Amino acid sequence: MPETAASVRIRPVTELDIDSIVRIDERITGAYRPEVWERRVMYYLRRDPDASQAAEVDGKVVGFMFGEVRSGEFGIEEPAGWVERFGLHPDHRGRDLGRAMFDAMRRHFIEQGADTIRTLADMNEAGVAGFLGALGFSPSRLQALEVPCKPEGRQETPRA
Amino acid sequence: MKVENVELERKYHSAVEHWSTHHFKDYPVLLEQWDKYFPTDEKFCLCAKMEVGTSDVIQVGEYKGEKKREDPDQLTEEQAHHLLAIIKAQASTEFGSIQQHAGTLDRAYDDQDRAWVMRVMAEELRHGYQMLHLLLSKDWSHVSGGVSGPQMVEEILSMTTGNHVLDAFNLDYDSFIDNIAFAAFIDRVGKYQLTMQKVCAYKPMADSMPQMLREEAFHLAAGVIPMRRFAQRAAGGDPLASMTALQHAVNKWFPRALEMFGDERGGNKNVKFGFKDMKNREAQDLYIEEVRKMLRDINARFVRGRFPDYSPEQADAVITELEQTRGTHKGLRHEDLLRLPDRRFFRRKGECAFETIGIDGETFADADEYLRYLAKNLNEGYIASRDLTNYADALRKVKAGTLTVADGIKAMPKLKRLGGTCPCSKSVRWVMEDGNGGQSTVAVRGS
Repeated sequence: MPETAASVRIRPVTELDIDSIVRIDERITGAYRPEVWERRVMYYLRRDPDASQAAEVDGKVVGFMFGEVRSGEFGIEEPAGWVERFGLHPDHRGRDLGRAMFDAMRRHFIEQGADTIRTLADMNEAGVAGFLGALGFSPSRLQALEVPCKPEGRQETPRA
Repeated sequence: MKVENVELERKYHSAVEHWSTHHFKDYPVLLEQWDKYFPTDEKFCLCAKMEVGTSDVIQVGEYKGEKKREDPDQLTEEQAHHLLAIIKAQASTEFGSIQQHAGTLDRAYDDQDRAWVMRVMAEELRHGYQMLHLLLSKDWSHVSGGVSGPQMVEEILSMTTGNHVLDAFNLDYDSFIDNIAFAAFIDRVGKYQLTMQKVCAYKPMADSMPQMLREEAFHLAAGVIPMRRFAQRAAGGDPLASMTALQHAVNKWFPRALEMFGDERGGNKNVKFGFKDMKNREAQDLYIEEVRKMLRDINARFVRGRFPDYSPEQADAVITELEQTRGTHKGLRHEDLLRLPDRRFFRRKGECAFETIGIDGETFADADEYLRYLAKNLNEGYIASRDLTNYADALRKVKAGTLTVADGIKAMPKLKRLGGTCPCSKSVRWVMEDGNGGQSTVAVRGS
């Protein structure tokens, strides 16, 4: 079905999108995780229901992008927009729906006083890295650092 | 997006806080435990929140293109009178829902559900406060029949379940299922009303809507998500959870929700005056399609729970098959799925008032036969309620031809509380209004 002939709508996510989001996630990951998405949708709706976006094609939700404006984290006081989760049904990729959702989110972040939009991603995933690069994301001087909880080489001894 | 917080004059602010000590006893607990349940969320503020930077221009109706009105004096008397009724009704619903939620709050399935409902209650308190701000910040005396702002506030704060403006707010909850079904069905009507009023030609009203709508998004989720989880429990064989219990709640609230839109044939004045951008039936139609989708999604959650190996497409196919055949699929019956009742089901207001139509559109000729049918499709607590008794009396008379439908609608009693604002201050007299506006005392409740 050519997307050009289809009706596309970008709008804020609502609680009635949970079922579609679960399906998109299941299509991408193969895992049925309704509890996860109920929890996440509730989180974003209660924090800022205008921020997270859904992409509809012919009235059916085929993509979502979750995020919000936060400040005061990691010593950064100024408000920044965070793009935290997104998913696009594989049948609807390559048609700029991800960009359209991002643009709507960016407009909202600007209204909220944010100057910068940040995200964290596994840059070894070519699809995700390519998508974020196309949106204009570039490496930041802020780096995500990590260390295992258990110091290397030390086995946890079972308690008696 | 910029929002200005406004507090009422101290005595009115205190009156609302005092009201909460009677009707929302857990309010201080919620504020104390806010960070536990809503970590890093903005703290709750009991204040009116006015959106800044909204349109100054009337967007719909007879005065489209003109500057929005900032003062009741800039409205015609008819417009001001009409708008005042909308604001008072809105205020009544906000405070009314808190009283309803409070009755069964402690029966929540878990602490999280309880905390969600408490937050809903706090935000409804804020919404009521917002409406009081609209009543008190301007002079409405020329259209209020001489009733002053403070008197209007007193009237609103003295309403209790049974005498609110809209029927949906006069029904007691029978279990925590009512808390979540109410949020999913009745708050959704609230979302429609607030959305329609975003264009309101009276600017303070329009400026009140955006923040209320943002909060309403949480309320809807606080209804839908627990309903989805309840369906999952039912699918998993939890003996304490059943789809029948959910269906009975749907049957209780859906008809009242439809009536909150007003008579299907009305709403012209709202659009003409520029107060809302849709007429009643238009909004009601959209609402019906939205709740139809909501129930379909809950059914999908239920079917996936029953058949964990099914794909989403297989679950869809099962639902469609059962809807078409009304049969069974591997032990799952059609009646195990939630159904959206016919829009004429169990109505007592609007163009379908006192028609005896079943959930699936079937008709009943006899009043008692219909009442027996309702008794099978509503929960036991509600069947035993005064609300249903009043409805049954009116229905029998309408069917017997001793009461017209129009008089039947009026005959549904409106209990009006006369007396002081605070239920701990003095006794009150309850009066039942008859069809001609006359009053008779039906009960006296001491403090």
